[in-house]
Amino acid sequence: MQPVHEHELVERCRRGDEGAFQELVNQYKDLVFAIIARTARDASSAEDLAQEVFLRIHRGLPYFRGEARLSTWIYRIVANVCVQEQQGRKPVTRSLDEDSLDRRAAPLGATRELSDLILRDRLEKAIARLPANYRLLVAAHYLQGVRYEDLAEALNLPLGTLKTQLHRAKRQLRRLLETELK
Amino acid sequence: MFCDEVLELVEALAAGDLTPDPRVMTHVQSCAGCAAALAAARRVDGLLKQRTAPSAPPQFTTRIMGRIRRDRWRRDQFLDLGFNLTVGVVLLFVLTGFWILLSQSGLGGISHDAANILGSAVSDLMHRATPSLPLYLAASAIVATALGVWWWAEKDA
Repeated sequence: MQPVHEHELVERCRRGDEGAFQELVNQYKDLVFAIIARTARDASSAEDLAQEVFLRIHRGLPYFRGEARLSTWIYRIVANVCVQEQQGRKPVTRSLDEDSLDRRAAPLGATRELSDLILRDRLEKAIARLPANYRLLVAAHYLQGVRYEDLAEALNLPLGTLKTQLHRAKRQLRRLLETELK
Repeated sequence: MFCDEVLELVEALAAGDLTPDPRVMTHVQSCAGCAAALAAARRVDGLLKQRTAPSAPPQFTTRIMGRIRRDRWRRDQFLDLGFNLTVGVVLLFVLTGFWILLSQSGLGGISHDAANILGSAVSDLMHRATPSLPLYLAASAIVATALGVWWWAEKDA
């Protein structure tokens, strides 16, 4: 069930209150944008995809029954947009050794900061190699406040299945980063 | 416990989703490979937690509200077009029915004479307006151009 504030906000949006929808956008824009930016392969299209999410929210509000929380429903829309974006793209194979932050180019005795920077860069490249659904799970779960239960409800997955998939995603990352983590 | 059983659990252990089983921890302490895998899983978990969350751009709300308004306008236009077409079709049916009724009731002859009178009045009006025809055509062209430019400007919005 929705909290009272969420219920009032949805009702005001349904009545065509533009200020209420603007309030909804301000409340969720960072969350939506962060998940999209971390999930989409092409970072430049993140804003377009985030706009598409809110457009679908605006069109779908008259049909939103309020059985789930508003945030759960929004996560579901974000997941659908990410999956559809991925289906429209050709698969990209990227080596972890691309670009200037190649580990082999790092000088011997590189500082800890440089090593961390290289590792974070390779983590991002490893994440980009995950399937879209794994990328979405990794992006959504590590944002503050997005619990397993909310994600499971949004993606229509049993809680156990969601955790298993997330662990598999991290196992793939561990294997992709095996050399760096030793 | 065997390594492959433990290796299936390291991600859950690293994330704190699994209570460490004494047998598992005993194996990890005695097996360098599994210990390294658990340490690596914890490192991956830590790195993922440190990822920065990008924020929406400053004008994002303004842009999305503009897009919502244009979307709503387009949908209203589509509804208006549908409504107008429906009214036009209904009117056509009504007029057709009226004409059939007139024909069958014998009032067709009277309506035919009325149509002839109306036709000659329109023809007379056209003859009077003909000297100004180029002016009317130029005005229509200007209006059509303005509508075309407006449509072209809005079509990608």
